[in-house]
Amino acid sequence: MVLNKRATAVLFAGLLATVSHAAIAAESVNFVSWGGSTQDAQKQAWADPFSKASGVTVVQDGPTDYGKLKAMVESGNVQWDVVDVEADFALRAASEGLLEPLDFSVIQRDKIDPRFVSDYGVGSFFFSFVLGYNESKLGASKPQDWSALFDTKTYPGKRALYKWPSPGVLELALLADGVAADKLYPLDLDRAFKKLDTIKKDIVWWGGGAQSQQLLASGEASMGQFWNGRIHALQEDGAPVGVSWKQNLVMADILVVPKGTKNKAAAMKFLANASSAKGQADFSNLTAYAPVNVDSVARLDSVLAPNLPTAYAKDQITLDFAYWAKNGPAIATRWNEWLVK
Amino acid sequence: MKMAATASSPATKTGSAAGAAGAVPAKAEVPKQSASMAQRWRGASNLIPALLFLGLFFLAPLIGLLLRGVLEPVPGLGNYEQLFANSAYARVLLNTFSVAGLVTLFSLLLGFPLAWAITLVPRGWGRWILNIVLLSMWTSLLARTYSWLVLLQASGVINKALMAMGIIDQPLEMVHNLTGVVIGMSYIMIPFIVLPLQATMQAIDPMILQAGSICGASPWTNFFRVFLPLCRPGLFSGGLMVFVMSLGYYVTPALLGGAQNMMLPEFIIQQVQSFLNWGLASAGAALLIVITLVLFYFYLKLQPESPVGASNAR
Repeated sequence: MVLNKRATAVLFAGLLATVSHAAIAAESVNFVSWGGSTQDAQKQAWADPFSKASGVTVVQDGPTDYGKLKAMVESGNVQWDVVDVEADFALRAASEGLLEPLDFSVIQRDKIDPRFVSDYGVGSFFFSFVLGYNESKLGASKPQDWSALFDTKTYPGKRALYKWPSPGVLELALLADGVAADKLYPLDLDRAFKKLDTIKKDIVWWGGGAQSQQLLASGEASMGQFWNGRIHALQEDGAPVGVSWKQNLVMADILVVPKGTKNKAAAMKFLANASSAKGQADFSNLTAYAPVNVDSVARLDSVLAPNLPTAYAKDQITLDFAYWAKNGPAIATRWNEWLVK
Repeated sequence: MKMAATASSPATKTGSAAGAAGAVPAKAEVPKQSASMAQRWRGASNLIPALLFLGLFFLAPLIGLLLRGVLEPVPGLGNYEQLFANSAYARVLLNTFSVAGLVTLFSLLLGFPLAWAITLVPRGWGRWILNIVLLSMWTSLLARTYSWLVLLQASGVINKALMAMGIIDQPLEMVHNLTGVVIGMSYIMIPFIVLPLQATMQAIDPMILQAGSICGASPWTNFFRVFLPLCRPGLFSGGLMVFVMSLGYYVTPALLGGAQNMMLPEFIIQQVQSFLNWGLASAGAALLIVITLVLFYFYLKLQPESPVGASNAR
């Protein structure tokens, strides 16, 4: 009798959970990004107006975790509907079968810069690795391009570089060594590491945006490779920080939909809204990252626009995400060997 | 030495005695031995919930994870080959254990006087100090790690003060290297030494030390031959806990260390998160577990009284 009662209760609770889950699932999208000011801006520019217009609730979740994404897809219990990931990962995940193909009858593909769209992902925003320096540390000598990082006599102090084996560091080493921009790929790893060897003891590595800002603003590092939005934020705060956009290296974040999502249709609508001219421009105006929609440039804030990668397209090198998606793991092995050597 | 002898398990003692004395006494010993075994396992059924919980939610997923090391991407030992063929990974492993060893050493050296002070000061004060130690554990790990960065960096408080006093001309490099990792982690680990050690010290009867002095021991002899051996259970259990925790530490080394001091957890995270190479990651994890278990075995050999037994005695 007791058992029976309990069994009924459990059954009922289970039923209730399923029903309520279905009710929520019908009109909600779980959006996952990296947190911090970026995700706040994504909420403000995309999620809030989208919810108001379509009635679809957007639940913010995060931070992005590739391991978690893979585990969800493999177990068939997908909780995330739209995820902000790095460009090379988007391609790698697509080739591993972790993503849903996008519905380009809903999303307007022809308005997206072709560098930042594929069958499985549409750009979230793009940004540049730029050469940032602390003016109070370097005084009158203003570094011009990546080769300044390797000139420790003229520009003393530590160099802050991005610590992960991902697009950026190897490319800038090769550029500084005189490799032409159109001859970068396939990467000459021996040459890149040999160049990096010359400043290995002067490098401090940063793993995240806040850390990179702390290193540069405090003068712990006199110069380095930074995300352009972080440099802009430092300048807004009045830190004595300068920037050179020469050979700025373009990297992007991509929005993807994990395979097996329960809210595919709503996710596609969300992506259409986020990648629209207005969604992209609104987000850029909040963050100083650049829009992937070609129609957004006209809508950018005129004060902010000169600080965005879109204003430096002439001297710009787009990192080869596809090359990294394919060769990333092998490069990482070399990278780790070099690091601990 | 005396403590070790009394604490060694009764089962082996009776067993060896029986062996030496021949077959007949051995027979007589059997019921006694099984009785003592029964006595020892009396409460075993209470363990079932914990064992079930651990089995279901820890052991089963762990085994699943370790299986990936031999099943992904293709079945076989390819991941282990890759791990052993590359000298860089041996270096990473060496880094991991030397950092854990150094951190254990320093937190023992710093935690010991602290635990002693807590034991010696009047009771109310001791509780206050202990609360302060505990309070530091409740503060966010990230916040504490960043505070060390502020203190230790080239333009940080310590370097500026030392340079203002004219003690140094060039800022000392205390962060983004091994020094930074060891300082930051030792600080975080000190409470894990102090808590068991302080409990052990509290339980030591002051009369024993007094007896030592009365018998003519100098303060030094009294410390090294009486007090320190009595603290051993606390030192060993605290040290072991810190060592094992340090092996798996990620945040602090990532922030305070340089990339050249990469430890195994960072390598594993890289494989799991960036490259979705779970086979290689799980091979790395398995290696860490095996080496830790081997060390744990030697620890048990060296330290017959188990930390659990010691804490039960109190």
